[in-house]
Amino acid sequence: MAFNAVKDKYRSKVGEVVLGATKEQGGTRDYTITIGGEAALPFLHFEGEIPNRPVVAMEIWDVAPTDWNDCFKPFYADVWNDPVAWAKKCVDEYGAELIVLHLKGADPDVKDATPEECAKVVKDVLAAVGCPLVVTGCGKPEKDNLVLPLVAEAAAGENLLLGVAEQENYKSLTAACMVHKHNIIAQSPIDINICKQLNILITEMNLPANRIVIDPTIAALGYGVEYGYSIMERARNGALQGDTMLGMPMIGNVGYEVWRTKEANASSDDFPGWGEQENRGILWEATTAMALLQAGMNVVVMRHPKASNLIKQNIEELMVKTSFDE
Amino acid sequence: MDKISVRFLPDNLIANVEHGTSLLLAAASVGLELKSNCGGDGTCGRCLVKVQEGRPNVKSEGSISLKAKQSGLVLACQAAAVENLVVDIPQESRLDEHQVLLEEKDILVEKDDFLAAGYSLNPLCRKIKLTLSEPSLTENISDFSRLQSAIRNEIDCHDVRIGLSMLKGLAEVLRTGDWRVTVTVAQLNGCAEIINVESGHTDKPAYGLAVDIGTTTVAAYLLDLESGVTLCQKGTYNKQSTYGDDVITRMIHASVPKGLRELHTAIILTINQLIVELLSQSDISSDDIHLAMVAGNTTMTHLFLELTPRYIRLEPYIPLASFVPLVKAEELGLKINPAAQVACFPSVASYVGGDIVSGALITNMAKREEITLLIDIGTNGEMVLGNEDWLISVSCSAGPAFEGGGITFGMRAMKGAIEHVSIDPETFEVEVTTIGNVKATGICGSGLIDCLAKFHRAGIIDRAGKLQADINTSRMRQGDDGWEFVLVWSDEADSADIVVTENDIKNLMRAKGAVYAGIRSMLKAVQLEEEMIDKVLIAGGFGNYINIRDAVAIGLFPDLPPEKYTFIGNSSVKGARLALLSQEAYSEAQELGKKITYLELSNGNDFMDEFVSALFLPHTDMSLFPSLAANND
Repeated sequence: MAFNAVKDKYRSKVGEVVLGATKEQGGTRDYTITIGGEAALPFLHFEGEIPNRPVVAMEIWDVAPTDWNDCFKPFYADVWNDPVAWAKKCVDEYGAELIVLHLKGADPDVKDATPEECAKVVKDVLAAVGCPLVVTGCGKPEKDNLVLPLVAEAAAGENLLLGVAEQENYKSLTAACMVHKHNIIAQSPIDINICKQLNILITEMNLPANRIVIDPTIAALGYGVEYGYSIMERARNGALQGDTMLGMPMIGNVGYEVWRTKEANASSDDFPGWGEQENRGILWEATTAMALLQAGMNVVVMRHPKASNLIKQNIEELMVKTSFDE
Repeated sequence: MDKISVRFLPDNLIANVEHGTSLLLAAASVGLELKSNCGGDGTCGRCLVKVQEGRPNVKSEGSISLKAKQSGLVLACQAAAVENLVVDIPQESRLDEHQVLLEEKDILVEKDDFLAAGYSLNPLCRKIKLTLSEPSLTENISDFSRLQSAIRNEIDCHDVRIGLSMLKGLAEVLRTGDWRVTVTVAQLNGCAEIINVESGHTDKPAYGLAVDIGTTTVAAYLLDLESGVTLCQKGTYNKQSTYGDDVITRMIHASVPKGLRELHTAIILTINQLIVELLSQSDISSDDIHLAMVAGNTTMTHLFLELTPRYIRLEPYIPLASFVPLVKAEELGLKINPAAQVACFPSVASYVGGDIVSGALITNMAKREEITLLIDIGTNGEMVLGNEDWLISVSCSAGPAFEGGGITFGMRAMKGAIEHVSIDPETFEVEVTTIGNVKATGICGSGLIDCLAKFHRAGIIDRAGKLQADINTSRMRQGDDGWEFVLVWSDEADSADIVVTENDIKNLMRAKGAVYAGIRSMLKAVQLEEEMIDKVLIAGGFGNYINIRDAVAIGLFPDLPPEKYTFIGNSSVKGARLALLSQEAYSEAQELGKKITYLELSNGNDFMDEFVSALFLPHTDMSLFPSLAANND
């Protein structure tokens, strides 16, 4: 007897967000990336169309990340004092299709870079690479509210993804995204309600839902990845059942979360039983990303080129329809 | 050590207190009540007094405003009397007794309550005229047995009891009246207690006292138990307020040495004062009151009986007793007939008390097919949902925000409280209406609900309750605790500028979120949808003034048609009254105490989830408020 897969029917699908703008669209990108749009739970091709692949974004900083593990040095030490060179290396050597530029230097406790300096870094990176760009502030609201509007203005037309907006601080970034036509990252603290509330607040300022990307806040494997997983699962189920205020694609800072865990960083000398440190870290990052992709993450922000490659391969494999999906 | 005398002005009352007593307690000892939300912790900054003569020992400045400090005021709770003092109490610091709003207007509907609840007059206590057969050498049973058997012929109860003091006088009473006597018998819990025996036949009826002990206010009715008529009613503040505004602070106070005693004494004093007022309006004496029925939340019932509420506060939240025994008035110090019996409504759980059982009784929800939701918003939000087949209750810690607690200019619903607000969305100009149409001194619950609704409509706050600092009006300004919105400028108010701060809004959002989340949790537990609720009854003094449309607009109450809502006022005291007048109602109350299922919200994550989704205007899930979505279009 032939096997008939039980199929769930969904009322709706995840919204699509386009990142970047080509010359014709008023920007300078070589290509754009569309995320979201899935009409089924992750990779269940037989239940609904998954039109867009999840994307691996590579994370770069505007200042040298002195606290990163030594294992990153062989890859980035030659470029991490220069964000332009760093971005180029990610694209040219490591095949990055999307770059996340974290303006860490704007932090008053780091370099206290001025909004103008930050805007210049963004422009320089845009000039150097052709991929769409995500730009995130230093995380201190007072400073970010000065920096990000200027970045938005300087990069008008490029259709950036700018972050982050939080429930306590979303207005100035939302306004900047409206005026200069960018997308926004709406970040909520592993809370489905606040996630939705923030999306409502942003759309009530008239930024359309298809310009919002959810950052549900995730954690690394062993540090509560399952909390993020279940929030994302709820968001996805909500989206497929027609809740448009949960229907945005999602982004997660996998590299940041993983590379602050003990398991990724502890030396092999201290924990001989844990295996070689760098490989362990790479696998930790890749495993975390893999789990989150299964929960419906659309953009995984990663650090280690080898972990990124593993995940790209994993995505390729998951995006192939099987006989089962026919 | 010698007592210290503190003379309070302008009342010119002198308190003689122990060395080191705080001025707050000294004032309380002579019946002067000051505003004291924090219960003497020095954190609410409201019990301001001016010392005219002598110097108190000021423990700490506490939370006192710079302006008050500069004008020489101190916090009464932080100032200890160490020498003779003369202290002036400014009007703003007083809890004004005469401003308690009672629902006098409601009194006329009592007969309907009665019929609506389907009970007939069959009071718990009544007077029986008896003519006993004279004893003789052949018919020689004792006086008491003689009385007992005569009573047994009149009432359906075998177990007839008498107290020792009553028994001592019995022989003479019987003989003085030539074996004709009038006995007052209270029949409760399957046993008839002789409260009084009078010589001869009198026509005076038995009287009863129905009391609702609220955390904030206490209400009492004086009833003629024979006709069922309410002779008069009175309300006042619970004197326990001196020891804190909410049940938690009171419970904490109950665990300090002498604290339980103080709280017990305070509530007895409060009730005795009400009794004096009630009696002054009628021609009966305190001895004529033979039965008292008390309904209060679990903690209040404990404190009334001087039972420790300590374990109610601590996980797993266990009350000492849900069903409490009958006690004699003299044991409690209640100034009614010393032999009078005092009965308390049973509690369901630590935070669902006799007041709720009383409310469920008067609404008759346990006898109807339709599904009723009873919401009692006091210091806690307590709710019962159900019908004749099932009843479920929850208590959610809404906090005292709707009673004015934790709100910068919050106050109870009394004269001068802003109860209605309207705001021009273009100019942000505000118009307010106060209770008694006097200059505003603060904002009460209904005004606060109005504020949330109108602030959101005018764009002063966003859906998350955040003040929008960028709106163009001088009313939006940076205060001591961040942004604040000036509701009433000081020149139009009876105080400083009346403001609503970001923190106030947070507290209100939490309070409304907790109530709504409690309703959702109950519905979820019984797998019902909101629209299946046939009737919503709003109880509590605060409930008299809420605007339903605003309350729905902020997501406090479910989005149901307004005709499903009814305000029932103080259902607790009405239930107590009903139980006094009907044996059946009293038994039903005992049954309800056992029948209502308690849903503990702190168990599991569902409530938290519901709560966070309710921290939004009106709610994260807008589909729960379809009428609002329709209005927006």
